[in-house]
Amino acid sequence: MNPLFIGTTERRLFGLYEPAAASRGKPRAAVLCYPWGMEYIYAHRTMRQLAAKLAAAGFHTLRFDYFGTGDSSGESEQADLVGSNSDVGAAMEALRDIAGTPRVVLIGLRVGANIAVEVASQHESEVEALVLWDPIVSGEEYADSLANSEVSERVRRQIRALDLPSRLPSLPQRSMILVTQRLPSHDQLGLPVEFVTAACPWVEEITMSGALPVPAINRIEAWLR
Amino acid sequence: MAAVEATFKEQAVLFGRHELVGIVTRPPPAQQTDEPAIVVLNTGIVHRVGHHRMYVSLSRELAKRGRTVVRFDFAGIGDSKPRHDSTSPLMASMTDIREVLDSLEKSHDVHSFILVGLCSGADHAVLYTHTDPRVVGLVLMDPTLPPTFRYYVHYVMQRLKNVRNWISLATGRSGLMRLVSAHLMNRVRPAPEVEGISLHNLRFSSYLPQCYRGAAARGVRMLAVMTSVSVRHTYKRQMLDAFPEASAGCQLRLEFFPESDHLFSGAEVRDRLRAVICDWLDTR
Repeated sequence: MNPLFIGTTERRLFGLYEPAAASRGKPRAAVLCYPWGMEYIYAHRTMRQLAAKLAAAGFHTLRFDYFGTGDSSGESEQADLVGSNSDVGAAMEALRDIAGTPRVVLIGLRVGANIAVEVASQHESEVEALVLWDPIVSGEEYADSLANSEVSERVRRQIRALDLPSRLPSLPQRSMILVTQRLPSHDQLGLPVEFVTAACPWVEEITMSGALPVPAINRIEAWLR
Repeated sequence: MAAVEATFKEQAVLFGRHELVGIVTRPPPAQQTDEPAIVVLNTGIVHRVGHHRMYVSLSRELAKRGRTVVRFDFAGIGDSKPRHDSTSPLMASMTDIREVLDSLEKSHDVHSFILVGLCSGADHAVLYTHTDPRVVGLVLMDPTLPPTFRYYVHYVMQRLKNVRNWISLATGRSGLMRLVSAHLMNRVRPAPEVEGISLHNLRFSSYLPQCYRGAAARGVRMLAVMTSVSVRHTYKRQMLDAFPEASAGCQLRLEFFPESDHLFSGAEVRDRLRAVICDWLDTR
């Protein structure tokens, strides 16, 4: 595992690169897109395990903190969705350079999945496949759940504007929506949603007890193989 | 943004034999001081960033004031690889802290340290300090406190307000009985060495007061920050009653955050916490 900083001087992003353990033919690469806020804190262990699993399966993996989050530069108030989209672009570029692959897989958890959808539509030719893990279906619904969180009004507006059903036509051909928490809004998607019985990795009472969503991690690795 | 970056530098580092992942935050060379380096420990299984990113903002604030600050992950926590030996979790954490301090001493020419921790991080800090004279200061947020006589009085008064607790007491299933028996059992046992304890039984261990006594005798400065909702204390002076030696010679400063939860949720609370820590560091 290699901790590193990527991005620009103005926008230094902390990342962890794990080289592919065993090359199986052409090198493949995956960028992991974290959730935000406390969901990021609680899901961190899961994303680390997912990265390790993919690296063992032959993927060069990079997970990183968006600007204004985690160990990356910037104040928390400076983090927003537009900036996070550009950060994923920078991470893809960095990983393609390191791994020597023309395309990468994007895997996003919660709001990270919605960010991955936007980036995939902007960098179509560079995205091999997309995994949306418990994405935010309705921004309105998600924003309501953040009522007591430390989120600025500007970011709250961006979150409210999230609308996954309207973005589905732009998904890459090879895409998977995987959920561990069934929601009525999944029926609106009109696309197959794969349900996996596993712990929700961003929920405090589950993750702090040490549970990891192993079946979900295994399913993602198997689907990408 | 460029102006902010110019006031500190951050470097990703792998510490020691177990390649513990950490971030070193330093002031620019012209502003570096020979003050002790600050080392921030994990809270439970949360990685080095901390809840609400509190350790990132703390590190940067202290670096702007001329301090070298390190936050890192214990083996198996956050981004650090797990160990594959039979070392107990507590002993592994003790070894990890030592490896980080050794690395910093070699690479950054610092020879004294202040440990910072919340909850289990505070307990790790106190236990480690007992074993390493290089530690000269402690910032302890909601550390484990042993129950005192007054704690039990408060505890009983609270519990008696609920009828269910009367039933538990009558049927012998009361938590109070378990607390008291654990307390008494540990009173009669000889004080163990650090190898014999875990964070789970630390509250009743006679090793804990021994660590505070040892730190106080060595002149280690301590800042203890208590929030409103820690289950480990029920009144303000509990720390002083539990560890009277720690307050001797004014080495202990006690701060209360009645408005805060255990995780320092709320930007204003964290701003105040940073201000208190900076003030304590500046005060001789």
